[in-house]
Amino acid sequence: MMAENNTKGIAVQAQESPQTEKKLQVHNLRISFRTSAGKVQAVRGISFDLQKGETLAIVGESGSGKSVTSKAILGIQAGNAITEEGEILYNGMDLLKIGEDDFYHLRGDKLAMIFQDPLSSLNPIMRIGKQLTEAMLLKSKARRKASRKEFGTWMGILTKRMETAAPEKSAELKRQADHLKQLEKKSVKKEQAYQAARSCAEEAEEECENILYLIEKKAWKDLSDAAKVRDFTKHAIHPDVLTEEEYKPVRERVESLTRGLRARQKKNDFSETAESVRMISERLKTALEKEKPDYLEQTWKEAGHSESLEEGFMKEFKEYAEAGIRVSDRKFTQYRQKAAEELGKGLETLKAGGPDALLPELNRICKAVDDSIDPVELVKDSMACTFTGNMKYLSARWREGLRSNDRKEKKYQREKARAEKRAARGKAWTVPAPTVIDLDTVSSNMERVISGLKEHYEERIAAEGTEDKARKTELVIRNIEEKAAGMAARMDKWTARNKALKLMEEVGISEPRVRYRQYPFEFSGGMRQRIVIAIALAADPDILICDEPTTALDVTIQAQILELINRLKEKRNLSIIFITHDLGVVANMADRIAVMYAGKIVEYGTSEEIFYAPAHPYTWALLSSMPDLDTKEKLEAIPGTPPNMIYPPKGDAFAERNRYAMEIDFEEEPPVFQVSETHWAATWLLHPDAPKVDPPAAVTERIRKMKARTAEVSGIE
Amino acid sequence: MSEPLLRVEHLCQYFGPNKAVDDVSFEINKGEVFGLVGESGCGKTTTGRSIIKLYNITSGSIYFKGKRIAAGTKSYKDRISEARKEIAGASPERRRELETEIARLREEIRKARRDHEQCDKLYKNELVREVREKFEPLLGKTTGEKRKQTAKEYRKALRIAKKQRYVTKIQMIFQDPIASLDPRMTVMDTIAEGLVIRGEKDKAVLEQKVYDILERVGLVREHANRYPHEFSGGQRQRIGVARAVVMEPELIIADEPVSALDVSIQAQVINLLNELRRDFGLTFLFIAHDLSVVKYFSDRIGVMYYGHMVELATSDELFAHPLHPYTQSLLSAIPLPDPLMEKKRKRLKYDPLSAHNYGNEMPEMREVCPGHFVRCSMEEFGRYRQQLGLGTSDEE
Repeated sequence: MMAENNTKGIAVQAQESPQTEKKLQVHNLRISFRTSAGKVQAVRGISFDLQKGETLAIVGESGSGKSVTSKAILGIQAGNAITEEGEILYNGMDLLKIGEDDFYHLRGDKLAMIFQDPLSSLNPIMRIGKQLTEAMLLKSKARRKASRKEFGTWMGILTKRMETAAPEKSAELKRQADHLKQLEKKSVKKEQAYQAARSCAEEAEEECENILYLIEKKAWKDLSDAAKVRDFTKHAIHPDVLTEEEYKPVRERVESLTRGLRARQKKNDFSETAESVRMISERLKTALEKEKPDYLEQTWKEAGHSESLEEGFMKEFKEYAEAGIRVSDRKFTQYRQKAAEELGKGLETLKAGGPDALLPELNRICKAVDDSIDPVELVKDSMACTFTGNMKYLSARWREGLRSNDRKEKKYQREKARAEKRAARGKAWTVPAPTVIDLDTVSSNMERVISGLKEHYEERIAAEGTEDKARKTELVIRNIEEKAAGMAARMDKWTARNKALKLMEEVGISEPRVRYRQYPFEFSGGMRQRIVIAIALAADPDILICDEPTTALDVTIQAQILELINRLKEKRNLSIIFITHDLGVVANMADRIAVMYAGKIVEYGTSEEIFYAPAHPYTWALLSSMPDLDTKEKLEAIPGTPPNMIYPPKGDAFAERNRYAMEIDFEEEPPVFQVSETHWAATWLLHPDAPKVDPPAAVTERIRKMKARTAEVSGIE
Repeated sequence: MSEPLLRVEHLCQYFGPNKAVDDVSFEINKGEVFGLVGESGCGKTTTGRSIIKLYNITSGSIYFKGKRIAAGTKSYKDRISEARKEIAGASPERRRELETEIARLREEIRKARRDHEQCDKLYKNELVREVREKFEPLLGKTTGEKRKQTAKEYRKALRIAKKQRYVTKIQMIFQDPIASLDPRMTVMDTIAEGLVIRGEKDKAVLEQKVYDILERVGLVREHANRYPHEFSGGQRQRIGVARAVVMEPELIIADEPVSALDVSIQAQVINLLNELRRDFGLTFLFIAHDLSVVKYFSDRIGVMYYGHMVELATSDELFAHPLHPYTQSLLSAIPLPDPLMEKKRKRLKYDPLSAHNYGNEMPEMREVCPGHFVRCSMEEFGRYRQQLGLGTSDEE
């Protein structure tokens, strides 16, 4: 519970900062599938990044590689997938290269997914409650272990920092911190008891409101509601929620609430019950208005400290921590400078002598970069962290290529000669092309990695002076507190249940207590999807991937689910990747939109740009193929089907289905043309020499109407 | 006005205690597209399936081209049991009245059962009689080789007539093109199956018909010998359409034919349905939850909510003046490809408890203005009329 509150605190603070933080970066991702018919190139080099608290929509037809991308991020690709190239950077890790053990701590915890079909993503023979709490209970131990480990390392690092800044005080501070760790456990237990009582009070209060409403409407049928009020009110008795004193005046009423209800129902006169319920409801309301006491502070005082925690120990601790961080930051800036110099030198060597010249120097460069990675960083520097791994991989490729390319080429020539002889005798014989490593690509990749990090470091060094050290310290300490709470927070069934019920309420499931015990088949489609969302949110993820979450649902439910996702995004500051084939759905969801076709992003921009000024013919086609409420004329369907990705077409993949295709579209792949700072499209139509082409009439007409309507509405306002 | 193609009267379909469809009435005229919308579980698919007699309906009647093809008996039975209860304490005069009433209702039940079970048989008999009437005088007139020829034709016509069923004039297109095609039958078999059941034996005729229809729906001849898994989603749905259209139906019930398809493919299939409608003069019952598609495709639209039809109007009228609060909430939920409008949009919520006050009077379908029906109470009826600027009237 504590941990949850703290995370939210950080999230809110981070939102205030003007800096945008890249949560996830995808660079040049290429994924293929091995099939019996050949290699299907599902994703062909896409790059995008996801910022904190934004929604990125990926739009495209089925088979355009949207789902493959999202599955690659979660590391749940099919067995025959080959990751050919690229990187997915998340918090200092390359998700394409880490192992299953590391993924265990990410998947579900940090990255969560909502699948398309809620019926097939729920287990039909398990109760909803069990499915909701399963992961919480399973991961509780692992999470405690991870918290303990991280707490240890963070404390270690911080105390070391503090030693450098104030050697004489450090022993005393460390002793106090250990003491605080012990107290934290006690306070978490108290907090859990408080939360349980409070949730019961909330439940009872809500039930009271419900009964009053139904009595007023003369529609109260289910009399067991009264028993619920009675039981929940009793459970809500807690010194900090509903005290015994407060409960005493209504005790009689609570206990007699269920008596004689049948008779009253026959007479159809609930006035007395309504009176009782109103009184109970008032009591509960005053109880709920009380502020939550600070249990950590309480335990701290109980342990015999005279000063308050915040004023005394924490203030001191923070001061020293800040001093320590200042010192170390200065040190790491120097390291970074050194690393940048080394990188610069390395780059020159690479340019002059190629990778062969670079290899002997590589160890030194890698060491300089590794040294420059600051362990006191809440969001790890992904580029620096993955540098060594990348370089090792690339250098191994280079050596492998040098060693085996010639041999493979020779073997190929030999076999080809033999095949030709056989062919001359009339026997068909094909020789597969050799899988040689393209050394030029390896070398250019090396250059890209080195120069990328160098530029990144130079930027960071320049920005060093502007960083707010006090805030950084605060965040670090908060993180440590969170870890300490995580160590103590034991997830038992009762806590898990409470959390699950709260989640169910949050996603808009009425009567969560009844629903908790039901099976998936007892839910309607929309409700099932809500359950799936609740399961995805159970672990407070950073990034939520929604893979066509509303395609199987109808309009009203779709609108509700979209609103729900939007609301949760704002509340929890989530970053969302939203995958869909329906452009209409993303209009009120997305901040930015990537339109995908045949494994590539063909257009990328903010949602306003994509809807009001689309530039790629495929986006035009998507927009004009769906009817809106004013459409009367024939729909402009996109002719044909997406290309077979075993043999990706030469030139622009969309050319064959494109009404505006030019000759060059069949010859050469279009490069990316920048339309505005945030908007680009890969189509030859944007080339300065291309003829001026207007989007189809259906699209221009619709945009004109939309603009007129917007103007009208804002005019009225 | 001439007889509508399909008339549904007080259709009820109960599954145990669940009233999936409860007292739904509507008519579909020849050549029009009637859209049925509502959220999942509101009974729109059940309505479609009841019409094509996949279920035995609980009560009400369905007339197709003037003939009753399905009828339920529950309403009659309920009235009989009510009358029986009343008989116990009634005066002798009233008693006689009630007894004649019961006898009448029993006769109705018998009729309903006969129509429901034997409509195909009656139709078949009629066709056979027609064939007899056509050929028997011919047989009398001709002799020799020509007579043999005629006799052969006569036998064939008779066989085909015997295998005819009335309900095959209604065909269905299903939602999921993957699940609704048998993976072990070739496209040829799938499309020809209905024709074979209907008595067509000649292989050349079957092939020709299948080829024609394949080309009509935008596929090619070569596809006939392939299996469903070799096709993309849109092509599979085309096969589903071909299978329905090859039977030369007069009414097609399209149960969410585009919901499972990608947006771009959706447009292809909708265009195809539109062409077929124009070329063959088909009539459609179009069931869908995507309102923009329904608006685009339908002439009239019925909105369903929990088994009831709540509003029925021409599509332009319905979208211009939605009266029932549920329709309004449904319309407010349509996503539009317009980010600025979307961000401002207010979605209306529908809560039947707070929206209506049906304490005194049960609601029923009333015609608010010509062709625009709303399920409402008398008080709401007045309000709706005022909204349309028609002034209140006490008479319907």
